[in-house]
Amino acid sequence: MARRELSSTCFAIRLASELPLEAIPGQFAMLACGNGLDPFLRRPFSLAGVSAGQHGTIVELMVKEVGRATTLLRHQALGNALQMLAPLGNGFDLTAVAQRPFALVAGGIGLPPVLFAAEVLAATGTPFDLYLGAATASELLEVERGRAATTRSGGELITTTDDGSAGENGFVTSALLRRVTAGSQYGRVLACGPTPMLAALADLGRARSLDVELSLEEPMACGMGVCLGCVVTTADRRRVPSCKEGPVFKARDLAERWWE
Amino acid sequence: MTVRLATHLGSLDLANPVLAASGTFGYGLDLAEICPPERLGGIVTKGLSPRERPGNPPPRIVETAAGMLNAIGLQNIGVETFCRDVLALLERRGVTVVINVFGESFAAYLEVIERCERETGIAAYELNVSCPNVTAGGMEFGHDPHQLERLTAECRAATRRQLWVKLSPNAPDLVGTAQAAVAGGADVLSLINTLRGMAIDAVRRRPILATGCGGLSGPAIKPIALRMVWEVHRALPTVPLVGLGGIESGRDAAEFLLAGASAVQIGTAIFRDPRAPLRVLEELENFCAGEGVHDVTELIGGLAWK
Repeated sequence: MARRELSSTCFAIRLASELPLEAIPGQFAMLACGNGLDPFLRRPFSLAGVSAGQHGTIVELMVKEVGRATTLLRHQALGNALQMLAPLGNGFDLTAVAQRPFALVAGGIGLPPVLFAAEVLAATGTPFDLYLGAATASELLEVERGRAATTRSGGELITTTDDGSAGENGFVTSALLRRVTAGSQYGRVLACGPTPMLAALADLGRARSLDVELSLEEPMACGMGVCLGCVVTTADRRRVPSCKEGPVFKARDLAERWWE
Repeated sequence: MTVRLATHLGSLDLANPVLAASGTFGYGLDLAEICPPERLGGIVTKGLSPRERPGNPPPRIVETAAGMLNAIGLQNIGVETFCRDVLALLERRGVTVVINVFGESFAAYLEVIERCERETGIAAYELNVSCPNVTAGGMEFGHDPHQLERLTAECRAATRRQLWVKLSPNAPDLVGTAQAAVAGGADVLSLINTLRGMAIDAVRRRPILATGCGGLSGPAIKPIALRMVWEVHRALPTVPLVGLGGIESGRDAAEFLLAGASAVQIGTAIFRDPRAPLRVLEELENFCAGEGVHDVTELIGGLAWK
């Protein structure tokens, strides 16, 4: 295990698994952040990358310290063994769409699946623009890594901050809307971030007949579809576990207010 | 040393005493790749109602100290879909299947049982009269001994299969409800369901669950569950009991057997580790071997009391 600081609140960890493991961007892991009953449940983390290691697989996660579990994870000694189930759920559809580039959109700690998708698309030669948004400059994470993947794909990197301290001033969704209004034609939008951001992208998709895929984050107990704690409402008014039927959904398959 | 793991609940033989609890193992196949259901003593299905139920709005779960609260609201696929799409696959694998039955009225409980009576591959019914998360049915039948006896008797008349009643720890008179279920014709009692609880977000000044309250499960409730199993066993020593409530380890399972349970169910532990029932079984076997117990049934009701 290795750990790297990304900001004052966020860090990346690399976990070595003995098992061979392949994953699609958007899939997630259920990770035990402690070793006993505290915290009681595992936590879901979207995979930021999966690669072959010396003795199996290296799984990369990006974590924002928001509570007891993530604090424990930040202070786990390197070399400790952690219980993890991965990969779980489905991933983004990365198949090319009629010569049109993808728009990849990440808000805050929604970065991992989007960065993972960027690196996979760059490796397969599929063009994309990458939109990275954060509240403030210090929370814009992994910009150079995003830039490297975007450059490789021949696309553009757009960064935004809510307070204007770096990149364009405003929400990342506004930056995307400006470019779409100006004529950018995207084949598919892949996104992960706070629910209001994803709801705005779902609206954009409906208004412009854009294919939008959203990676959702809901409270989960099991991550495997049996606790039914993480349900979201679909367009046909079913409540489905987002761990199993998601966490990636086509925006058009979701109810407008899927979180209620 | 080999340990004999077989147990029985009255007339029902189980290959071992560890079952998966209702609402934590889907319909029996959901976690089969990690935890093959045929290796367990049995599985209890998610509560089935006559028709599909959407359940409660989110948030439905919240972690608590050594446990969690849930307010799922008995979301399920309905008995018809279960019988059509799942049951035969369980039977083919040789799974001991217990159907958890839920309804908002006596008629609805009977409707589920009558639908299942047309099928093979069912070992028992477990009446869910203890769910704290629904507005009608469930716990209201489980709290009133008179209603519970009537409901149990009506279900008893509808089947020759084993009838289990899952008792509510929220009932004002636990032993009274246990006696009522037996008087109505229950063969087996399972206990306990979740304890009604609450979590509050102090900053937002709101309950965390959309329904306000939910059911507490996990190791936090284990001492209460043990006490209740022991009390019911003492009051009704000939009635087979299935103990559950916060079991995380083989040693926990042994404690329930000693308190008087003939088998145990693993519930919330499955959320932490989908292989938990098999792990508990292995640990129970090791515990017995370590203690010189050749037959796991030697533990049942074996609590020493000076």
